[in-house]
Amino acid sequence: MNCEVCQLKELVVEPFEIREVLRCILHTIVFHRALGLVRPKDVDSELFEITYVQCGDAELEKKIEEKIDHFIGWVDKHPNRKSQVCLSFYEVKSKQPTWFSNKTERLHWEEWYVNLHVVNRKGNGKFRQNKAAVDHGENSVEERSSRRAVLETSLRDVLFQIIKFVNERKDHIPQVSNSEVISFPYEITIPSSSDSSFGWHTDMFKRMLQTGHPNMLS
Amino acid sequence: MASSSCNSFSEPAIMEQIITEFFTKSVHIILESRSPYVSSRNYSGEQFISSPSPSSSSSSSSVRPRHQWFNLALGDCPAALENFDLWRQSNLEPLVIDVVLIRRPSRQHHVLQSPNSSRDQFSNWTSGQDEFLQDSKSEKIVERWIIQYESRSNGSVIRESCPGAKKSSGGNSQSSESSAMYKKTYKKSIIMLRSLYAMVKLLPAYKVFRDLNSSGQIRPLNLSHRISSFAEPFTREEEADMNQFGFTPVDTPCGRLTLSVSYLMKLDDIRSETSTPLPTQVIPDYVGSPTTDPLKRFHSLPSSLPAYASFSRRHSWSNDHGATPVSQSPSPTYSNACVFRANPNSRVPPHNHLRDNAPSACSVPNNASTVHRKNTSFDEYWPSPPFSPSTSPCPAMQFCNDHPQNALLRTESAPVNIPLPRHGKNYLQNQGLPPSPSKAKCVKPGCSPRVDIAKTHISTSSAAHTSSPEGKLQAKKELFRMGDMHTDIVLHKALSLGKDETGSLSGLKISSCTSPRLQFSRSSSRLSFLDEFDDSEFPCPFAVDEDIIDSCNRIEPLDRQGQTADYLETTGLVTARKSQDAAVSAIVKMLKNAPPLRPEPSRQLSSHVIKDETRTSSMERNSVAEVMANPNSSASVAGMTTSEFIRSRTVADAFEELRGFKERKDLLLRQIGSQISESPSKDP
Repeated sequence: MNCEVCQLKELVVEPFEIREVLRCILHTIVFHRALGLVRPKDVDSELFEITYVQCGDAELEKKIEEKIDHFIGWVDKHPNRKSQVCLSFYEVKSKQPTWFSNKTERLHWEEWYVNLHVVNRKGNGKFRQNKAAVDHGENSVEERSSRRAVLETSLRDVLFQIIKFVNERKDHIPQVSNSEVISFPYEITIPSSSDSSFGWHTDMFKRMLQTGHPNMLS
Repeated sequence: MASSSCNSFSEPAIMEQIITEFFTKSVHIILESRSPYVSSRNYSGEQFISSPSPSSSSSSSSVRPRHQWFNLALGDCPAALENFDLWRQSNLEPLVIDVVLIRRPSRQHHVLQSPNSSRDQFSNWTSGQDEFLQDSKSEKIVERWIIQYESRSNGSVIRESCPGAKKSSGGNSQSSESSAMYKKTYKKSIIMLRSLYAMVKLLPAYKVFRDLNSSGQIRPLNLSHRISSFAEPFTREEEADMNQFGFTPVDTPCGRLTLSVSYLMKLDDIRSETSTPLPTQVIPDYVGSPTTDPLKRFHSLPSSLPAYASFSRRHSWSNDHGATPVSQSPSPTYSNACVFRANPNSRVPPHNHLRDNAPSACSVPNNASTVHRKNTSFDEYWPSPPFSPSTSPCPAMQFCNDHPQNALLRTESAPVNIPLPRHGKNYLQNQGLPPSPSKAKCVKPGCSPRVDIAKTHISTSSAAHTSSPEGKLQAKKELFRMGDMHTDIVLHKALSLGKDETGSLSGLKISSCTSPRLQFSRSSSRLSFLDEFDDSEFPCPFAVDEDIIDSCNRIEPLDRQGQTADYLETTGLVTARKSQDAAVSAIVKMLKNAPPLRPEPSRQLSSHVIKDETRTSSMERNSVAEVMANPNSSASVAGMTTSEFIRSRTVADAFEELRGFKERKDLLLRQIGSQISESPSKDP
């Protein structure tokens, strides 16, 4: 089965914006892949003038929040980095049992990569060289708001990108075999678990899971 | 593939239905987020009556409830429904929805006003703003949605292109293939509609819509829509400004469904304008305005049921902002049962939505412009049988009427329906309150009618809002018991002073009960409102209070004639037993007279009664003592209480009093805590 991959445009965000950005993006994606009976829930972003749609599925919401927490935790430890969050959908296929494998395997049929460049801005425009900070004014408030506007526009673009992708690629979507709201199994992976030396990060990830994150909301 | 599957397609009717529903859903999604009010076009409401369930309205052939089509559950959007019904007769013509941004001239203008007389002609009717558009050129198309079914066979419609369409080809080998085909089509349509849904929220016009909805303000701008079967071409400049987005078409066996939008990306000038706040418009809107005062409107109505349209709120599942608020129209002409909009002033806070339960709402004559937007959570109620027509001054009354089974109305302290032998005012008669046999003991001529009425208001309002939860019911009971106790004490005191004083004392008593009670009742009703409507978008809690107050104001003159006093005199302790009623009426009175802060004397009296009073000034004591020593007619007492005690009070006074009331309340609560196990109706 072919796996469609969508690389979303990179967004330059500050740490405190991560949550809202990821919420917008992840919920929008899942909404398009939740083919069960959905009662859409319009959510006004807390930071941006953007309304995105949720499926109204509590479990999904919880999971997304958890993952965001983990990601923010990871970002705390790895500031000023580019990173990816991957949302992927898969099918579970039973495999012919062999000696050394599970009986089931995950067949990923779609992967969404959310590309974030997290910048930690402290003080007055330290990172002005960054492309998001187009404002060269001295006023940090102004700069901030204009930077926010830029991010908002980019985020909107990303959401459009999602919609476009979703519209263009429909044939790879497997058959819906259940009546759940969230029709397909999915997973959200964050950097710690995907892109570095296996042992150390697994360890970190476990620790993060155990400790959780204090400011988990909603 | 297309033509072959077309010819052999065994169930094209289903396909056709998918297409039809696709159109409907698309219109629904778009209008739900673009039509800031329900169109006031003259659909009669009968549509809804004839189709009480949202699922079945005008879709008798639906396999599944309409709102579940494409697994996208939306609230009802009457504007979309009416549009769709017209489109349905049009042989799958394209649908062009122009979202129009209207810049209002400085003078007030009713954007949507005239029922369109040519509604039978589907093509190019608008949602009612024709006149306006002719009137003023300040409108601009900001979005154009085109929903289209393109048949593959040279533009002929689907029926012609699929000769096998109506024939059942009885289980041939291709049936499974074709069923897979339309499953696929269906799935793709689901996705397309999902992205349409998301898209609609992302486009700039949504912000305008949201702003319009989120405030009851008059805006210089408004959104409207036009639906037609063809698109008037844009001018070049217009086109240059427009962005295009085409959703990837969904293939059907015989054609394809396309959906595209052209939109203005820049609405910056608009934003600045829309954000101009006109805050003063809000409050007059729901308190003072004759257009919004339900009582006035109720009065002018024949015995009909105006309020139900808005009583039936929309479900809130999908749209916190994506719904169409109900507005009230001062002019009956353009209003219809379910859909009101004429005066942009009277836009309602966005939480009031027309909903799928509108059916029950629409047995309303056309002058039902009196939509009552202060309704509370009707979702809980609407499954009950249709309302019977009545003109109630108070929405709570209607709750009461329609939910006689409501437990609260049967609580000991809340006899609801008292015939009014002497005052027999039209109110209650018109309201058609059902007799309450269980309360026969109370239904005596001796009962103070005012009290009963007032209590009816209170109890019904609370009843209406605390229908099911046991806890709240219990709380209410306690509250009433508390009221019982208090007034019993007061009355006892009063009566012990001698019969000829009762009249005057009763006057005093009422005011005396007023203030402490006010706290209870107000806070309790508030609380219950809040409790109940935290999640259910209760639009404006104090508006309901206002209702109660107003309706009670109307009742009040009844006892200005001193009849209460008569009753008290003649019924003696029987009345004492009912004195809770008096207390409630006192609340009402208090509510009415709240601002002037006149409970000073009452506090005084209460201090006589409950020995915990700490803050009475000796002057006031004297004045009350005077009153007591000078038994006049109740009228004179009333005169005194209203004239003499309404003196200029400062805010500090108010706070002080408030504190006193709180203390008293605490005391009462403590007392009740100890006495709650005893029979509350025990005679003092």
